[in-house]
Amino acid sequence: MIRWEEATKRYGAGPPALDGLSLEVPAGETCVLVGPSGGGKTTALKMVNRLVEPTSGRVLIDGADVAGADPVTLRRGIGYVIQQVGLFPHLDVAANVATVPRLLGWDRRRIGARVDELLDLVGLDAATYRHRRPDELSGGQRQRVGVARALAADPPILLMDEPFGAVDPVTRARLQDEFLRLQRALRRTVVLVTHDIDEALRLGDRLAVLAAGGRLEQYGTPAEVLGRPATDFVAGFVGAGRTLRRLDLLSAADALVAPGAGDGPSVDAAASLTEALSALLTSDAALVTVRRDGAPAGAVTLDSIRAALRRAPEGEAQPGLEHEGAADGDGEGGDR
Amino acid sequence: MRRAVGRWLTPLVLLAAAAGVVAWAHHGADAAEAGVLATANLARRLREHVGLCAASTVLAVVAAVPAGVAASRPRWRRLGAGVLFVANVGQSVPTIAVLALAFSVTGIGFRTAVIGLWAYSVLPVLRNTVAGLGGVDPAVVEAARGMGLSPAQVLRRVELPLAWPVILAGIRTAAVVNVGTAALATFVGAGGLGDLITVGLDNQRDRILYTGAALTALLALAVDWALAVAADLTGPSRGNRRSSARI
Repeated sequence: MIRWEEATKRYGAGPPALDGLSLEVPAGETCVLVGPSGGGKTTALKMVNRLVEPTSGRVLIDGADVAGADPVTLRRGIGYVIQQVGLFPHLDVAANVATVPRLLGWDRRRIGARVDELLDLVGLDAATYRHRRPDELSGGQRQRVGVARALAADPPILLMDEPFGAVDPVTRARLQDEFLRLQRALRRTVVLVTHDIDEALRLGDRLAVLAAGGRLEQYGTPAEVLGRPATDFVAGFVGAGRTLRRLDLLSAADALVAPGAGDGPSVDAAASLTEALSALLTSDAALVTVRRDGAPAGAVTLDSIRAALRRAPEGEAQPGLEHEGAADGDGEGGDR
Repeated sequence: MRRAVGRWLTPLVLLAAAAGVVAWAHHGADAAEAGVLATANLARRLREHVGLCAASTVLAVVAAVPAGVAASRPRWRRLGAGVLFVANVGQSVPTIAVLALAFSVTGIGFRTAVIGLWAYSVLPVLRNTVAGLGGVDPAVVEAARGMGLSPAQVLRRVELPLAWPVILAGIRTAAVVNVGTAALATFVGAGGLGDLITVGLDNQRDRILYTGAALTALLALAVDWALAVAADLTGPSRGNRRSSARI
């Protein structure tokens, strides 16, 4: 669990880079810090591994203030992925991935086995890539190695700063898919920074929307942020397409009505409502048959999609932790 | 491949040229010239010359690399700019003046010449150390810090290896310049190949003058070659080729 308590960072005079951020990321969840540049996203992220020290406030990991930890020890327990990847250009892939295990003094056999396991995990053939240098890899492959390196010592926490920012859109989508697959299997506590709202909605269990000046505008699930933007800023940032985006979060099964004809267009029950709507719009039919394991289970119509959007939980807009923080009160005293 | 052939051809060509120079010096030298140009005397002057260059270059590296590292640490960075400025100004002082200054302190001999050469060769090494460390991708350094490398580990395992080719280029410059500059050591009585040049000039013996000048030039080329090979052996590019070959 990671928790920011009134964390503020100021560089000289002028508006703060991060303004009193209070936020809690439950263990095993992915929290995406999203917003335009100048929102303090990266600043908030780097406070967790003490690359940035808060001017006031504090950051806790599992209840312990990170300011009390030795930065070097702390960082060895936290995976860190940055946009420019930062692979060591003078070391091959295996040595890059082995960085933290080596620092921790693992024996060579264990490191070798771990490197192969991790390369396999991120979808790189170990025999082919183990001894390549970073400059012999594509952008997407470098990102994969960066993720493998961050995971090397099996850290419970992963910090990712624009991890998929430097690759083309196709590679980016594939890396996002793989991130989701990995995260489903590994359940790490992930803090991910991006300025791309689509990426945030796709990857985050929760989104923290930060505005210029380092203000937290809204903290909630993707459905909450889309369904009920807390402020005009969030509504503007999420954009005019937010209703269409909500369709991505709903499945055909959410808009099921009585079984239809069975011929004409059809989609799987697990397909998103976006796909169902596309099928509807590109055919002359008034309904799309929904199949579960191939057998017709019902249908989706324009009306049923409208109803599903109305029904779908938009959630309570949750501006940070304000009410919770006041209740348990342990964040208020002390070192501010 | 062509480059590799050139690499190993160079020393052979240099040795052949040196042998040719010595043979020419001996052939047809009159009695007065023969003593100065005797192989034993040439070897002695060469040894002195190499000793002067080696001592001053090693001392320059020992002083300038740590100073460059210190100057590029974040907390010293401002000081670093000042150090570079002073060193740059120092570089513009003529060598002979530096030698004269050193002479006024330590008198005649090897030590004075080494101090003069050292003062002159610190700058290229210092400048390249600062430039090399400054040229390391900040993202790489941040990734290293973020993964939990201590400042000393970041320096040793990441910054210095990445800056090494640039630092070595500075050492190469300093060493080659030193070979030429060491010809002036004769003015403070430290010997070297410069002795041949001044003796040749003073006595209007062109054979001696040319021999000294040619040997100095050949030595400079040899030093340049040796350090280029060192760069190849220790630089990242070679490891690169080797690791691709293993795939």
